[in-house]
Amino acid sequence: MRQDAVRGHLDGLLLAVLEPAPLHGYAIITAVQQRSGGALELRTGTIYPALNRLERLGLLHSSWEADGGRKRRCYALTDAGARFLADERTAWQDFTAAIGSVLNPVAPHPHPQPHGQGA
Amino acid sequence: MTAGPARGGSADDLVEKHVAELDALLHGPSRAKSRLVEEARDGLTETVAVYTGEGEPYERAVHRAVAEFGSARELAASFQRELTIAQARHTARAIALSAPFLLACWFLVQSTGAPQTSAVPRAAQLLATHLATVAGAAVLLAAAALAATGVLARRLPVPHRLPITVAWTGTTASVSMAVATLALATASVLAENWPLTAAACALAAASHAVVAGSARACRRCARLPSGAPVTL
Repeated sequence: MRQDAVRGHLDGLLLAVLEPAPLHGYAIITAVQQRSGGALELRTGTIYPALNRLERLGLLHSSWEADGGRKRRCYALTDAGARFLADERTAWQDFTAAIGSVLNPVAPHPHPQPHGQGA
Repeated sequence: MTAGPARGGSADDLVEKHVAELDALLHGPSRAKSRLVEEARDGLTETVAVYTGEGEPYERAVHRAVAEFGSARELAASFQRELTIAQARHTARAIALSAPFLLACWFLVQSTGAPQTSAVPRAAQLLATHLATVAGAAVLLAAAALAATGVLARRLPVPHRLPITVAWTGTTASVSMAVATLALATASVLAENWPLTAAACALAAASHAVVAGSARACRRCARLPSGAPVTL
């Protein structure tokens, strides 16, 4: 999928994959790829500044967790992050509904008959 | 920065070389920088482990992981953007914490400084009034910068020139603190309540050292190329 097409939605994507449970950086990348069926491939290096920014904004919080003798930074959604995600979902649904109604009209609008004609 | 645990071989060297190249391109608060670089190394190592787990030869897995990660030059702008904001926040905090302390010292000197018979302490107090105005304005700007890069940034983009504005605000505040130090040093020689004035002078000098160093680092970061916030 063209990266331009989803530009600006990275915040929502990252928050969405962290909604079920906290994850570390690589697992977040994998989760986005899996949920999109492989259509979205993140440039893996870009994820870390993005996570850092979301933490600065108070939408995520992070902590070091030990995993098999290694320490890894895990990210979890904050309450503010959950609210932000809900807003992102609503905005995305409104946007796709509006575009979808133009691209895929359900039924053509009937042409209005001029008054007094046809009888 | 220190290298991670070496497993030997040119492939490992490639991961370390990639991380070291990124590290060399970045400037910012050491803690924030080492955290970002360490996470990048961890991500690369993890990716290599996954590919080797899938049966790829180690060296090929490393090359693939590095290619997917992005080149150091490609990534530096987005990493630097975060570090520049971290440095701007660091400088803003230094201004916001030290300037009010300095203001309190000035008011203390003015209220308990005893009747000023000499013209020099009176001149120092007059200068203090002007410097206090500068310090007050710097505090307001610093608070605005902290808000703009914090919670407000959830809905509003961080102005591109904010870091350089914070850097020059810090520079201005640090010059004011240097002038205050000289003025207080002069006043303490002549003032009746000289220990209090000398203590205020020492605080002004310490504040100057902290804010000037942070402002210098912020100017350096703000001059570096940094990309827009990472989207996708």
